[in-house]
Amino acid sequence: MSRIIGIDLGTTNSCVAVLDERGQPKILAGEAGERTIPSWVSWSSTGQTTVGARARRQGVTNVQATVYGTKRLIGRKVNAADVSWFARLAPFQIVAAPNGDAWVRVHGQPISPQEVAAHVLRAVRKIAEDALGEPVTRAVVTVPAYFDDAQRQATRDAGQIAGLDVVRILNEPTAAALAYGAHRVREGRRVIAVFDLGGGTFDISIMSVEHGIFEVLATGGDSALGGDDWDRRMIERLVGEVSDTFQVDLTTIPVAMSRLREACEEAKKALSVDRETQISLPFLATDQTGAPINFERTLTRQLVESLTRDLLDRLEAPCRRALGDARVDAGDVEEVLLVGGMTRWPAVQDVVERLFHRKPSKGTNPDEVVALGAARYAGILAGQSDDAALLDVTPHDLGIKVGDSQFAVVVPRNTMLPVRARRLFATTTENQKFVSIELYQGDSTDVARNRKLGQVVLDDLPPGPAGSARVELVITVNVESILSVTARELRSGREASVMIRPSGGLSQRELVEIITRRQNEHASLGLLHAEPLGGAVRVTTRDHMLSKPDDDKP
Amino acid sequence: MADGALSIKLRCASWQQLATIYKRDLSHGTMFLRAAAPPAVGRSVRIELALPSASVIVLTGVVHSHVQDPQRGAGVVLALGPIPAGSLWLIESALASEHRRPATPVHGTPTLGASPPRGMVPGSSAVPVSPSISDSADVTEAEQHLIKALVAEAESLKQLNPFLVLGVGYEATDREVRAAFGELTRRYHPDRFARYESPELHKAAEDIFLLIRDAYRRLADAVGRAHVQKSLDTSPAVPRVISAPSREPSPVTLRTANTQRIVRDGGAPLLPARRSMPAPSPMMSEPFDVSPLEDLIDQGRLDEALVAYRVMGKKYPHDRPLRAGVLLCEGLRALAVRDRSLATLRFEAALEIDPSNERAARALADMRRQATNERKGLLSRLMGTKEP
Repeated sequence: MSRIIGIDLGTTNSCVAVLDERGQPKILAGEAGERTIPSWVSWSSTGQTTVGARARRQGVTNVQATVYGTKRLIGRKVNAADVSWFARLAPFQIVAAPNGDAWVRVHGQPISPQEVAAHVLRAVRKIAEDALGEPVTRAVVTVPAYFDDAQRQATRDAGQIAGLDVVRILNEPTAAALAYGAHRVREGRRVIAVFDLGGGTFDISIMSVEHGIFEVLATGGDSALGGDDWDRRMIERLVGEVSDTFQVDLTTIPVAMSRLREACEEAKKALSVDRETQISLPFLATDQTGAPINFERTLTRQLVESLTRDLLDRLEAPCRRALGDARVDAGDVEEVLLVGGMTRWPAVQDVVERLFHRKPSKGTNPDEVVALGAARYAGILAGQSDDAALLDVTPHDLGIKVGDSQFAVVVPRNTMLPVRARRLFATTTENQKFVSIELYQGDSTDVARNRKLGQVVLDDLPPGPAGSARVELVITVNVESILSVTARELRSGREASVMIRPSGGLSQRELVEIITRRQNEHASLGLLHAEPLGGAVRVTTRDHMLSKPDDDKP
Repeated sequence: MADGALSIKLRCASWQQLATIYKRDLSHGTMFLRAAAPPAVGRSVRIELALPSASVIVLTGVVHSHVQDPQRGAGVVLALGPIPAGSLWLIESALASEHRRPATPVHGTPTLGASPPRGMVPGSSAVPVSPSISDSADVTEAEQHLIKALVAEAESLKQLNPFLVLGVGYEATDREVRAAFGELTRRYHPDRFARYESPELHKAAEDIFLLIRDAYRRLADAVGRAHVQKSLDTSPAVPRVISAPSREPSPVTLRTANTQRIVRDGGAPLLPARRSMPAPSPMMSEPFDVSPLEDLIDQGRLDEALVAYRVMGKKYPHDRPLRAGVLLCEGLRALAVRDRSLATLRFEAALEIDPSNERAARALADMRRQATNERKGLLSRLMGTKEP
């Protein structure tokens, strides 16, 4: 049985780690000694892909065929607000898949974010295999705690495409806490907060650590807020300045936008330390007379802070809500861990300090801590270590539609996994023949704004007045976040149940097609050396298998 | 000698030996080998360890140090690499399935193999093992045993009140409750079983953990504990009192409940004492001498005792000791045919009617203690955890 690796599949960078012989997690470095690789994928005109730092360098020249930040798209609809924002500024094309999912288009070919992520995962897997000298088929992959089921499943699918059996999806803040606290907290109970502001997502988790038990008390966040937003504000500002000075719209020049984006990201990093920095972009474009535009600009931290003040405000509400959900006062939090590159920004640290009344801990490397935690968790799952256990929670409310569009919560958010929840419901009309129970996930009281996960139909109910038939609904969510629902009419004992594997957007058939297509490509290139797909390709037909799928009677 | 890894074949003659090696060495990631001419420190070693079932597991490691053990003689300590999950699992499940077989007693200090390799000549102590033997049958059987153990565990936990599930006393503090929950979580959390394939096994582990978690939820704070305690006081399905075994003849004397607690080996009170006893019913004014009937029970003549209790019970329908006696006999009979849940119900009912029925109390306490010990022992073996 091979080892299980831990992968931090980040918006901007990815990282892989494994437990070493002594049971300590260690980062696996690539050939050039790089400990993280940029989550970038680039396609040459002949269809060859490059991943990582090389792809990122290509991003300057091969602008439209170089893709990054697709973690923002994975498992998302193209019409989601932040997706369309991202699409407006990304130099590559973002298109709608037939089912409305956000895909990218490269050389005229639509490509799912899952496939893009699979390229990154494959590169990461290669690094691990080279470093370990053995094949790797199983992995724990981290996602933001605030990812919903579709985004998680899409991440699993990406693993499957990359030939990895994703043993478990782990929440990034939880991983960070595992890496940070596993050996520190032996005695006594500590409440810690993990503040994770990465490239594209923001997560806040309140956890308690005691006797090696890592219990997530509450989690919250904003899956569409991250360091990229800071970049975007800077880019928008500079684009505006160029437009005012030279009457040139840079957004129509992909190469210029790409260079500007790089420069802004660099400037942001510099401003995390210094109060001001210089941006210098010679020959950025040509003005209307054909003369080159040499863009020179001094940026101050103060300016960037004034551009991004509202982003800071968006950090507060999730923190307050998480504290409330955890029933913990800010003062009870003994330690705040910072994760994600954007937490290096001084103003972000000020927000943390103000919210939790204490200086955050900076002892850990925010870029690597998540992968290290994933490796630790992989060790627990493989039975390599038994001194720690992880108790995670459901990130969103889970419930059913009642009445016209009301959302009846059955499993509130932040319920410890695994879950087994029972609720009784009654029929609403006389001689009601059947009930259709639709399951939703989300935090809105209006079901229409939440995500539908599936439904189960219970028919042949015994006749009687309204309310006479009582339906017991049992929802279980196991530690792998797989959901199953059973509905039972108590008098007749009629039962219907369904196991819901959320769809990440790709159907099983599409997944198999992608995988076989890739195998064929490899075979034709003579590259197929019996690549072990392992247990990754477990094609099930259980998805959304409803007891009565076509039962849509009035 | 070639400079590659030393290859050593060892054989574990008995399960007990394996258990010792596992507990003493393997679970700590080390291994002691007797060797007259020990190889250099840092030398890598590859060990093929044949289990009593003829399955072979491969361990790799390096020579960590040379030691002179007073008991075991001169030798080397190996620092083993991580034991592959599959191998670890083989050992654990092998030990688990061995639990079912009669143990073979082994005398003397267990050592590795019949003759630990002198100078560690590769293969010198090799016992013919057939590497082609498939473990799959073995493995499935062991997994089945583990599933059975877990399902039984879940069933037995279902019968217990939250205090008993967590194994804490009524006076437990938040801290104690959390500590108990923490320990049980480390042992039973579904993640601990993730390395097994069987969905049935995962389900069983999940069932157990849910019971533990629910108990924890209800007892996590003082308000919850008081609430549970109150519901226990009024619920008939829960044992009320385990009274101290006593030779006092009169069954109607009121005894203090918490004179003695059954203490499990960890030291924590297994059966929490209740604060107060229900007052005896005023109807019990006419004590009936049941001692001849109790003698029948003590002699194991359960059927006769049962008939006698029933006959007497018809004559004196309000006599509580008699009614309790009927239930006691029924419980003991159920116990004789290993129907533990029925037995529990009967004993509890007997105590409900006659809280002073010491035989029922003792039987119940014995059953619980036994169940706890079995659970702890078996699960420790299954999961390879050291006893706390």
